[in-house]
Amino acid sequence: MKKRVFSILLALGLAVTALAGCGGEQEAQDPAAGQVQETSGEKKTFVFGDTTFNAENGIADINPHNNSGGWACIRYGVGETLFRFTDSMELEPWLAKGYERVDDLTWVITLQDGVTFTSGRAMDGEAVKECLEALVDTHVRAAGDLHIAGITAQDQTVTIKTQVPVPALLNFLADPYACIVDMQAGVTQEGIVSGTGPYRAVSLVPDTSLGLVKNEDYWNGNPKIDEITVRTISDGDTLTMALQSGEIDAAYGMPYASYPLFENDGYTISGCATSRVFFGAMNFESEITSDPAVRKAIAMGIDKEGFVETLLGGNGYPAVGAFPDNFSFGGDAVSAQTYDPEGAKQVLEDAGWVDTDGDGVREKDGTSLVLRWLTYPSRQELPLLAEAAQSSLGEIGFQVEVNCTADHNSIRVDSGAWDIYVSAMVTAPTGDPEYFFNYHCLDASSNNDGHYHSDRLEELAAQMAQTFDPEQRAQLAIQMQQTLLDDNAYVFCSHLRMSMISRAGVTGLTAHPCDYYEITVDLDIA
Amino acid sequence: MRKTGTADRKKKKWDGIRIRLWIFGGLALLLVLAAFFAEAICPYDPYAQDLSMALRAPDMLHPFGTDRFGRDMLSRVIAGARTSIFSALALVAVITVTGTVLGVICGYFGGLADAVMMRISDICLAFPGLVAAMGIAAVLGGGIQNAVIALAVVSWPKYARLARSQTLAVREEPYVAAARLAGSGPGQIIIRHILPNIAGNILVTAMLDVGTMMMEIAALSFLGLGAQTPTAEWGSMMSDGRSMLQTYPWVVLTPGLAIFVSVAVFNLLGDTLRDYLDPRRLHKRNEM
Amino acid sequence: MGKYIVKRLLWLIPILLGITFLSFAVIHLAGGDAAQQMAENSGIALSQEALEAQREALGLDRPFLVQYLDWLGGFLTGDLGTSYVSGQDVFSTFVSKLPATLLLAVTSVALTVVISVPLGILAAVRQNRFADYLIRMVSFVGNSLPNFFVALVLMYLFAIRFQVFPVISAGTGWKSLALPALTLAIAMSAKYLRQIRAAVLEELGKDYVTGARARGIPFSVTLWKSVLRCCLSTILTLLSLSIGNLLGGTAIVESIFMWDGVGKMAVDAINMRDYPVIQAYVVWMAVIYVAVNLITDISYRLWDPRIRLGGDAR
Repeated sequence: MKKRVFSILLALGLAVTALAGCGGEQEAQDPAAGQVQETSGEKKTFVFGDTTFNAENGIADINPHNNSGGWACIRYGVGETLFRFTDSMELEPWLAKGYERVDDLTWVITLQDGVTFTSGRAMDGEAVKECLEALVDTHVRAAGDLHIAGITAQDQTVTIKTQVPVPALLNFLADPYACIVDMQAGVTQEGIVSGTGPYRAVSLVPDTSLGLVKNEDYWNGNPKIDEITVRTISDGDTLTMALQSGEIDAAYGMPYASYPLFENDGYTISGCATSRVFFGAMNFESEITSDPAVRKAIAMGIDKEGFVETLLGGNGYPAVGAFPDNFSFGGDAVSAQTYDPEGAKQVLEDAGWVDTDGDGVREKDGTSLVLRWLTYPSRQELPLLAEAAQSSLGEIGFQVEVNCTADHNSIRVDSGAWDIYVSAMVTAPTGDPEYFFNYHCLDASSNNDGHYHSDRLEELAAQMAQTFDPEQRAQLAIQMQQTLLDDNAYVFCSHLRMSMISRAGVTGLTAHPCDYYEITVDLDIA
Repeated sequence: MRKTGTADRKKKKWDGIRIRLWIFGGLALLLVLAAFFAEAICPYDPYAQDLSMALRAPDMLHPFGTDRFGRDMLSRVIAGARTSIFSALALVAVITVTGTVLGVICGYFGGLADAVMMRISDICLAFPGLVAAMGIAAVLGGGIQNAVIALAVVSWPKYARLARSQTLAVREEPYVAAARLAGSGPGQIIIRHILPNIAGNILVTAMLDVGTMMMEIAALSFLGLGAQTPTAEWGSMMSDGRSMLQTYPWVVLTPGLAIFVSVAVFNLLGDTLRDYLDPRRLHKRNEM
Repeated sequence: MGKYIVKRLLWLIPILLGITFLSFAVIHLAGGDAAQQMAENSGIALSQEALEAQREALGLDRPFLVQYLDWLGGFLTGDLGTSYVSGQDVFSTFVSKLPATLLLAVTSVALTVVISVPLGILAAVRQNRFADYLIRMVSFVGNSLPNFFVALVLMYLFAIRFQVFPVISAGTGWKSLALPALTLAIAMSAKYLRQIRAAVLEELGKDYVTGARARGIPFSVTLWKSVLRCCLSTILTLLSLSIGNLLGGTAIVESIFMWDGVGKMAVDAINMRDYPVIQAYVVWMAVIYVAVNLITDISYRLWDPRIRLGGDAR
């Protein structure tokens, strides 16, 4: 009984404290908010609206060691990495000046001189060492990618030793999680870090806004904007109207249907293909999709062009393989089945799938050609793709049953519950092809839920793990994709077009294929 | 005292309500029939896609325009009537019956069962509908039937409460006491005396709830827990098309119009039914 | 009276236990967990080991009942835990989001009263005439439009066409408040003006109104003095119901206008399977439910002494 009374008191306490909290909080909120609207004197201000800057996307703050916080850190110009990607997704030094691979396990990286953190500390080997050590201590994915055995620092060089050969080490060091921040300045309660970028973070309210000011001592040019506010706007329609009303100067994550409103002189749209691909994985345990003819017919029965041009309003790129064509091993480097409904019918016909009872659905040995299409709603393109495929595959004799559910993660591990799993994944987050195959297509892959197996693919993958030369890796990536496509094990439908829309007068805001660089030193507003 | 109005005025009033009852009842029936024969009325196949015809503005060929799959909106709105109206009606029927039965039993017998049932209904009422609906829909899978079940679980207590409080009031009426003295069992009393007396009120509430439930189902569809693709359902058609309000307004306005018309019809029917069933309605306000 | 209040507050215990267990179970059954959800949203696959490590760190690898009891233990000692997603203390996050929700709730209820009471009375007095039909028609419009649609239309009109209010709320200034509050008020007014109309009609039909009229008392006096007073209980019930709902936050409106309140927090938490935050929200809803019921019953008594407390209060 005593415990019960206590819990009541507690619940009441919760309510009372909550109510009492009102006054203070409200005042604390106002100044931060007022700052958004302020346009004082000749100060240049810029407001950026983003649909993805929230805890839901793993971006609760700008701490690169916390989930996907690195994305915010690098996108909004706070942090920078040792290496970065060019527009053709090749690596170039950034905070690093150069590197040397001493042996398969040892890398020596030389750092730029004269770079300082916004905390005032100079960026030297010791600072980089501290940061990377903290990274692999706290960030599970980074630790698994880098396999670091030890780091030593001397002046402006760091030497990284790995436990196993990591050919893509430099690519991993260009991942947002590897933003170099000052660990001595640490992470504030709000999740603010001190980086080397053109802007310094001054305030942060998770899921709401990030306040930035110009970094006067920036090492690589002169930032032009005095104050930047990044606003989290999770709803696409709100984002649209906020840009229309002029409350924000630029937007990331605009819904496709809103594009026509901004295709005029008042706005600039900058977009490019990213390695985020919408693709279907066939289930090799399923009675339906284990039949090569069925897989081939599916690959021939999806109208990728129509999907991209009509349903996405041209805001996407039909895919061939796993990587878009701004990668040397992407785009037309491989070949896949093209949209050919008549051909698909023939393929099914030849394989014995015939509509005997005239209901529009083919059968073979008493089994109907019912395709269970598993997908999820959190990416707006996926339900559209499902609905389009439902119709186009329907015409060639499939009956497509769409299961579009947030619970897809627990369903996809049950290979008896689906025939094709359609998802949206980034295939080359660090510009390197190995990641995609490792996570999705091999016997040991965590995401190979359809249990696809190819001897040749396993062999090529083993080869890639030992290959350091980027040219040879690219060649292997092409062969590996072709293997997948020849087996019709995967259907790659389209690549995401990442776009930013800005008001006329905003310059220097350009979309980048890796989706990492948004606010840079070049950003200016007339 | 009560029968003050002149006879013909009384009759006129009575007829006015009756006429409205026929009109709105007829309209509601028309909606239900349209929903029932949706497939026969549709000018096009509501599920046939034609990407080359996507997002056409309304014209002679497609009076409501087409959506982004190039499907005829008019056909989809008609087909959506079946999903939206039938599922709302089914939902209201389920919660009304369950709620009333439980409420009457609790109200009539009282005691432990009553106390337990009311605590359960407390939990259901205090439980955030969203959490419940998402959970149930996730367990049972998507689809309109499961959305209906999810909503039923969180909505029945309202009717149980209503039926219970009405039963409590009616139970003390002299005629119930008389029936009891005359040797009628509880079953007889409930069926003969209590249900007929509380049915009107519950029926009216149910009619008014049809519109509300239609909106609730729409809200679940908005969250991806209601109708599954490609089922035409007004709420999900509206939420799917909401980004097109400025660019292709017909995609969102036409299902909106359909929701408005059916909510209005069921509400007007409910109002009229209330007027019709209210005994005082016969005598009051004649002179006002 | 004091004894009555204590008794009512004791109801909180079974409700809280039932409701928190239920929500835990329901979300658990819904499948998925925070670790997986975050990986999905970023579009970058995690290795099985990485997922397991995250689950272990969050305690998600333990049996369901253990997780619940663990949470309950924390709750009883005043610890609501930390969010799986943001890593922040749940209690302080929650408290920081409450003021915005409270402000929005109070404002929209005030707006609702201002809109629905006069219109409801007018419709009742002019029953079955033009004004009545017009008002009811308008209420059907308000009743049949989903919230998100009303919000978009208001945004379009007031922020883009007339440029009077901002689209995204910046802080809690009245200008930012206007559109979200109006969106909520439109839907509520549409519902409640009909009920106020019905309540007024019922009062008008009572014998004392006829009697007053027969004694030559002007209708307006009767309306304001007696009818309105008796309708107060209806209005009070409506207000208590809506304030209860609103205090739970209105997820759709809050997220459309970027109003940083508990409703938006709850939906995000549900989507992310962030148990500690969901539980805090569920507890809050139970507390509101019991508190609002209690306050309503007490105020009934204050307004209308004929109602006795105790006995069967429901």
